[in-house]
Amino acid sequence: MGYTFQWGQATGYIPYLAGGALVALQLAFFGFAIGMVIGAACAAVKVYGPRAARRAVDGYISFFTNTPLLVQIFFLFYALPDAGIFLDSYEAVLAGISLNASAYLAEIQRAGFISVRRSELDAAETLGFSRLQTIRHVVLPHLLKTLYAPLANHYIVMVLGTSIAAIFGVEELTGRALNINSITFRSFEIFTIAAAMYVVLTVAASASLYWFGLYAFRVRAKVF
Amino acid sequence: MLATLSAEAPRFFTYWNLVFLATALGNTLVMVAVGCGLGVVAGLGLAVLRAKRIVRFAPLRWAAILIVEVFRRIPVLVLLMFVFFTFQLLGLNVRALFVGALAILLRSASLFAENFRAGLESVHPNQWDAAEVMNLGPLATLRRTVLPQAWPVILPPLTIGLVGMVKATSLASQISVLELTFAARQLNQRGFSALIAFGTILVLYFLLSFAIARLGAFAERRLVPKHRRA
Repeated sequence: MGYTFQWGQATGYIPYLAGGALVALQLAFFGFAIGMVIGAACAAVKVYGPRAARRAVDGYISFFTNTPLLVQIFFLFYALPDAGIFLDSYEAVLAGISLNASAYLAEIQRAGFISVRRSELDAAETLGFSRLQTIRHVVLPHLLKTLYAPLANHYIVMVLGTSIAAIFGVEELTGRALNINSITFRSFEIFTIAAAMYVVLTVAASASLYWFGLYAFRVRAKVF
Repeated sequence: MLATLSAEAPRFFTYWNLVFLATALGNTLVMVAVGCGLGVVAGLGLAVLRAKRIVRFAPLRWAAILIVEVFRRIPVLVLLMFVFFTFQLLGLNVRALFVGALAILLRSASLFAENFRAGLESVHPNQWDAAEVMNLGPLATLRRTVLPQAWPVILPPLTIGLVGMVKATSLASQISVLELTFAARQLNQRGFSALIAFGTILVLYFLLSFAIARLGAFAERRLVPKHRRA
């Protein structure tokens, strides 16, 4: 083999990498939040909107779910300046992640919308609930329970997806691993540590989302 | 925007550029076919290794769980780098395309293993008991009793996973595999606008994903009886 492991050179950078993990979580969180808003609008159009608008949203969703996130961000980063829109790398990555997520989150939320049964709404009306009361006591609890697991799942998938940001020079976990790699050249050691950190990060995120779901919404969600 | 596109198109879609794009498309297809083809087999294998009814030896089941849980939690980009530098460590000189396919294989195997596991677990335990009473061995039970009933649960997420793998191959451009994304970057650097270079491969990726979705629908028609389709 002729390769001498030098773990010592890589382990010193673990705090620096952990900082990158926080950036990854943050990027995924912002992307998720923006994606939820756009996704909710798309889902509402798909359920209640007129035919032409539904078609347009269908096109939007199938475009973003059937093409690679990397190419979408490349497109935003290199093609938008031709139209006079200049995004720095963090903004371009965040925009790409948000738009990409919005397509998936729209589908998830649509499934939630249509899972509220007619009979539940009828029952609320029979009980004399106002529109707001119906939303507050019938629709929202139902939505939170059915949507929590797939949404939490998608958040974890997005955390893994943020590694793409490294290609555009955003210094999250993978980006920082690449930085250290170009300082120390202990490539194998560094990427082993980075991979292990992703495993630990997503296991911790899965566990906390599971407990949050259990206490906040009483859902036993299978999170990733 | 459309005016610049149509002005650039004749200069972009020349014979040699199309050959270049076709080569890139071929490499993308090789990574998908080899990585996912073996990934489906390996995923099924890992799911079977985890099944209590088939594997009695607990440490083997734990090993399968560990492999799946670790590899599906590593981003494709990091996995690519990891495989890439593992070959450096081993001192083996392999092609970048091979590294790309291997990373796709590792990822798809661990993701598909979860789909297969969910499918196998969706079949009622009584079915295993009934097959055992009929004197079927564990593997015959799997093939003749359990899998036919599990396809409705397995196929839809498996199709989504395959489309995801097509998209994941775009990351292999980072280890200089000549696939679609790499080709688009090269064309962009040769002076073609990002709009036409990336726009073209976006269309190609879309068609590829669409074809795989159709393939999944076809498999569902063949393997799942009508009343059990979603």
